Amino acid sequence: MIEEPYRWVEAIANRREYIEMQLASGSPIVALGYRDGILFLTFGQRRQKLFEIYDRIAMGAIGHPGDIERLRMAAIELASTEGFTRSAADVSLRRLVHYSLSPVMKGAFEQVYGAPYLARMLFAEVGDRPEEDLFLRVDYDGEIASNGATFTQARRDFAVLSGTRQSSEQMESFLQAEHSPDAGFEAALKSGLDAWSIGHMTLQTSDAKELPERTAITKYRQEQLAKAGVEAGILERDASRAIRYRSLLDKELRALIHE
Amino acid sequence: MEPSLVTLGPHFSGTADDFPALLRRKGLLAPATVTSTSPVATPHQKSWQPTEATTILAFKFSGGVLVAGDRRATAGNTVVYDRADKVLEIDRQSIMAIAGVPATAWEMARVLEHSFQYFRRTQLQEMSVDGKVRALSKLLRDNIGFVMQGVGVVVPIFATYNSHPKPEARLYFYDAMGAQFEAADYAATGSGSPAVRGILYYENNWGGKPLQKTSEDEAISIALRALDTAAESDTSTGGVDRSGKIYPLIKIVSREGIRTLPESKIAAVFKETVA
Repeated sequence: MIEEPYRWVEAIANRREYIEMQLASGSPIVALGYRDGILFLTFGQRRQKLFEIYDRIAMGAIGHPGDIERLRMAAIELASTEGFTRSAADVSLRRLVHYSLSPVMKGAFEQVYGAPYLARMLFAEVGDRPEEDLFLRVDYDGEIASNGATFTQARRDFAVLSGTRQSSEQMESFLQAEHSPDAGFEAALKSGLDAWSIGHMTLQTSDAKELPERTAITKYRQEQLAKAGVEAGILERDASRAIRYRSLLDKELRALIHE
Repeated sequence: MEPSLVTLGPHFSGTADDFPALLRRKGLLAPATVTSTSPVATPHQKSWQPTEATTILAFKFSGGVLVAGDRRATAGNTVVYDRADKVLEIDRQSIMAIAGVPATAWEMARVLEHSFQYFRRTQLQEMSVDGKVRALSKLLRDNIGFVMQGVGVVVPIFATYNSHPKPEARLYFYDAMGAQFEAADYAATGSGSPAVRGILYYENNWGGKPLQKTSEDEAISIALRALDTAAESDTSTGGVDRSGKIYPLIKIVSREGIRTLPESKIAAVFKETVA
């Protein structure tokens, strides 16, 4: 059937629709560059969603656990062998995503007889200064979005991942207004939790044009905090140690959340 | 990072591999050597000469484990380097101190360091102390071919801190074939080790107090005296270079992690109790 080009396009479109539907319920993930590093944050419902990839690289993902696992392993393998044969400084997130993961995911997506990767991933690499932080989001079709400046958008110091485009756009417009890269940890944590709440609220409505009211956000955040655990990790900017990733305990975080 | 390295085919099984196996799969580490069965040595000749020309010592004291090594690197009877670093940090909690052929030893330390990180990242938990000890043992055993050819002997000491189930310092020494032994109080390796072992045995039994009860300053002093004694009769051990002001490298493993003692601290203890 796919000898005919329009059939192939149709098959791809169906596949896209199917994957989008599968990912649509994924709980958002927020990554924020702040003064002392990068904070990764989500509400952990059932399974771990944030992972350490290499000394300065971490990842968050939504999708099928089996696919996430295969991609996570591939990323760790690539980074570890590169770091071993050359040096940790030669491990680059940009190359990892652009040259290794994206082509593989695109290939799998377009081979209509094979299974695609049911996963959407958010990577971050901490730099020596906030301007050097890199965020890359890789989609199931190999599409890459970065925090770098484009014609229509200034450089961002955060990145988000969510089940739907609408949800991530809402989170982005909130963070665009609220977050600044010289924020301290507590401020970053607060904007992160609020952004997550907005993202999650948006997943449950079909048309959200405006950002929710601030009181509604706070109320929603408090409700979520009362029933679910926070999953978080940081990539520390502190150059005195090689391994920058540290996962944060729910208990540690709750002490810092005030309202 | 060549794109072809991504092997996500049906045979992909990242979880089953340890890091050395991954490196071998990608052709980045020499295969575990297999020795030929016919030894080259005649019955009157030792099949290989021990070449681990150095002195490394480690013992438990009140604040954890102290690991010390001299700084001299030799090739035959030539001193090639007088600031060699033979006490290597493998992770936040573990030290590998090496006597033997530097090329092999440093490569081993590098593989080991990456193995522990790789395990934590892929398996989402720290490798246990037993796992770490075993990983080093396996690397040594894979190296047996070079040992038999007399070109790659490595005899390390491994010190780590176990936080679970009972917080305690752990100390291991190995032979060149990978057998591991847990040391109760102290361990020494390298050409100067007979003298050091004598001193540590004496100190532990008839010194002021058992090694495990000594304070940090006392422990440093014992380590410096022992290395100085080893250097007295062993040409391959640097000991303390009084004219060049080169002091042994001393690291301490404790519950808080690894601490490298600053040279000023070692110099002060040396001046007060050794020189």
